[in-house]
Amino acid sequence: MLSLGNWPTDYLKRADPTLAAPLALYEKIKGGLRIVALDSEASKAGITLGQSLVNARALVPALTAREINRPLLEAGFADFADWHSNTSPMVAVLDDVSSFGDLVLDITGVDHLFGGEPAMLHMALTRLRLLGYSVNGAIAPTIGAAWAVSHFLSSRVVAADGLIGLLDALPVSALRLNEQQVATLAQMGLKTIGQLRQRPRKPLQARFGLSLLTRLDQAYGIIEERMTPRLPVAEHHVERRFADPIALMDDVLACAHDLAIQLAYRLEADGKGAQAFHLFLYRVDHKVMSLSVNSARLTRDPHHIAQLFAHRAERLSGEYDAGFGIDMIRLAASSLDALDASQLGAFSADEGTEDLDQLNDRMASRLGTMAVLRTQMVASNMPERAARLVPTQAGKPDMASSRSFTRPVRLLPVPEYVAISAEVPDGLPALMIWRRQQYRLVKGAGPERLETEWWRFAERLELVPPPEPKEPEPGKEPDPPPYIPDLPLHEPDGKARDYYRVEDEDGRRFWVFRLGFYSGPTMPSWYLHGFFP
Amino acid sequence: MTSPDRQQRIAALRDTIADIERKPALAEARVRVEAEYGRFPKFAGGLLQEIFTDDCRNTGASLGFALAQMHGLLTASRMAVVHLQLADEAQKLGLPYGPGLAHFGLDPGAMILVRPATMAELLWAAEEAIACRAVAGVVADIAGHQKLLDFTASRRLSLRAAEAGSSVFMLRYGMQRQSSAAQLRWHLLPTRSGHKQFDDRAPGPARWQVRLERGSLIRQHAEWVLGWTEHGFSTFAPRTGQQSRPATPFPRAVTGQLADRLSQAG
Repeated sequence: MLSLGNWPTDYLKRADPTLAAPLALYEKIKGGLRIVALDSEASKAGITLGQSLVNARALVPALTAREINRPLLEAGFADFADWHSNTSPMVAVLDDVSSFGDLVLDITGVDHLFGGEPAMLHMALTRLRLLGYSVNGAIAPTIGAAWAVSHFLSSRVVAADGLIGLLDALPVSALRLNEQQVATLAQMGLKTIGQLRQRPRKPLQARFGLSLLTRLDQAYGIIEERMTPRLPVAEHHVERRFADPIALMDDVLACAHDLAIQLAYRLEADGKGAQAFHLFLYRVDHKVMSLSVNSARLTRDPHHIAQLFAHRAERLSGEYDAGFGIDMIRLAASSLDALDASQLGAFSADEGTEDLDQLNDRMASRLGTMAVLRTQMVASNMPERAARLVPTQAGKPDMASSRSFTRPVRLLPVPEYVAISAEVPDGLPALMIWRRQQYRLVKGAGPERLETEWWRFAERLELVPPPEPKEPEPGKEPDPPPYIPDLPLHEPDGKARDYYRVEDEDGRRFWVFRLGFYSGPTMPSWYLHGFFP
Repeated sequence: MTSPDRQQRIAALRDTIADIERKPALAEARVRVEAEYGRFPKFAGGLLQEIFTDDCRNTGASLGFALAQMHGLLTASRMAVVHLQLADEAQKLGLPYGPGLAHFGLDPGAMILVRPATMAELLWAAEEAIACRAVAGVVADIAGHQKLLDFTASRRLSLRAAEAGSSVFMLRYGMQRQSSAAQLRWHLLPTRSGHKQFDDRAPGPARWQVRLERGSLIRQHAEWVLGWTEHGFSTFAPRTGQQSRPATPFPRAVTGQLADRLSQAG
């Protein structure tokens, strides 16, 4: 557990070194400007949280005050938290009290890599203090205890046997309670957690709700507290640390290739392949950049993976910013599944589908997943819904349906308005004006009427009017009225389309439709929707 | 050295020079044609073909002609067609439509639609797609005049295509001709459709009028009216009425050799 009490001011000072030393952030609370964050010099000068800005200015004339920007601070803290995944894979922001400032690392089975728990805590604290953050930390068996110790005591490692004695002496506000609960406990004269723990539980629950007891039990480890890691935990990952930070994209990609080879050995040993690969670049200045690529089929081929990352990197060349350098790179694989070793050579069927999938992967990694598409047929009679474009990586295409209506080879994504005149209202179109050009239509076929799918618009179809309620026979209960859902009635006239295939005198073949009927209340409008070969 | 021998050698050298002039260093990718006179030839893979129409209004016809040629190139091992189009030109040209492709006789699942944002990405995707051995052909739909698509770019594509054996169809629109290294350049005009059985007023089977502007085929035959059936192209006698239209800056089809020179100059 790392607690950065002055995170907002430290963060702003690091981002903008010109900010003068006594710095306070204020926020408008209930009509008044109140101090919500302080740096250490401001608190030494006597300013307290919750003080009004005017009082603080009177106390310290040299005070620098800024309005707090919570989304910026939250995003900055999230980046900061991600960066800490270079020490442990499970990192979470503890946002019970404040959405920034409290960081939880699950270091189970990790601490020996850093020379034991005290050394690890020392490392984590010093590297932050060197950067100018005021930080307090604690290693404890439970999240609640670690939070209490890091906020109310000096940095230390708490062993499991000393936990109860340590917690009993702490004030009740160390349990992450809300202000009302703390105030009520103070009225009851309960000051320390130890006193609170001696009390019978049922009256406490009746008075404070379950949350108080939950916090108490969580701190003592009676019930387990879950943390939500910010980054998904990868089952397989390989990483490399650098003594000196690297910055060039080429170096990063070369390293990614090496890591992909290592990862391939691991996956091969497990008989697994993966479909998604993520490259995390840990910058020296507390940022993590991540690149993700997907593969249409399970793979562990290091060459292919490295190539995908190279294409992905080419796409973001402008956005890539190594800052002061990258000191660690991690390659993680997700969406794992069993992939058996396959035989190459003599008896393998030499089909091109694998090549095609790899081509799709390459194009998707460079152009974006939504730029490489394939048609998926949908059972619908609306032309624009009948074919859906899905990313090629989303799965195998289903077999084409055998229906063979006459349909155009090209469809406009949005039908375009055209002016059409016909000899008689319901006859074949004779003249069309589209994109300010006139077309004399000499051939035509239609109409092909396509009704709207009324169930998609939350409408009610009524083919026959509901029967009149009958007079109940004497001595019998009247029949309950039939159930009618509370939905607007579907009006077929307004939305049905009549499609025509038309050909102009030069031989261009179009697919036009008329929305609405001539008999309807408004005049129908015409649209051009597609082109025939 | 006798004189007839020398004459033979000179003739052979002249042939070589003519080859070089017609297709600079692309002699290995010469148009391989199997056709009888009058029929529309069947082209083998590995060619870069440009299909020009006068206007974006003819998009249906030009895609139809490209797909009709593609129909003969699809095999069991080369089963994919890659369609390239800039993402912001979809509304101008229209997107290939699955049910329509099925009606035309092509499996819609075999077509991959790639929609890059820039021309550089489109050319990159085209090269990658050509190099893939499962791709039968690439259809690149390019509406406007693109500065990046110059002689060098198209030369790269044509070399790649000749090497990998998959075809490239560039669908271009407008009167302007950019210089390119395409082996064949077609000028396509839409033509009135054929007769529809039982319905005289309805549009029938698709027809196109194509004219070879560039590249030489057997006996310099350069103009066809093509119809499309399930079994391939059928040819018809050209309609005289449409030839008089001023369709291109060239009054008539230029021969292949002249077109080469023109494109290199321009």
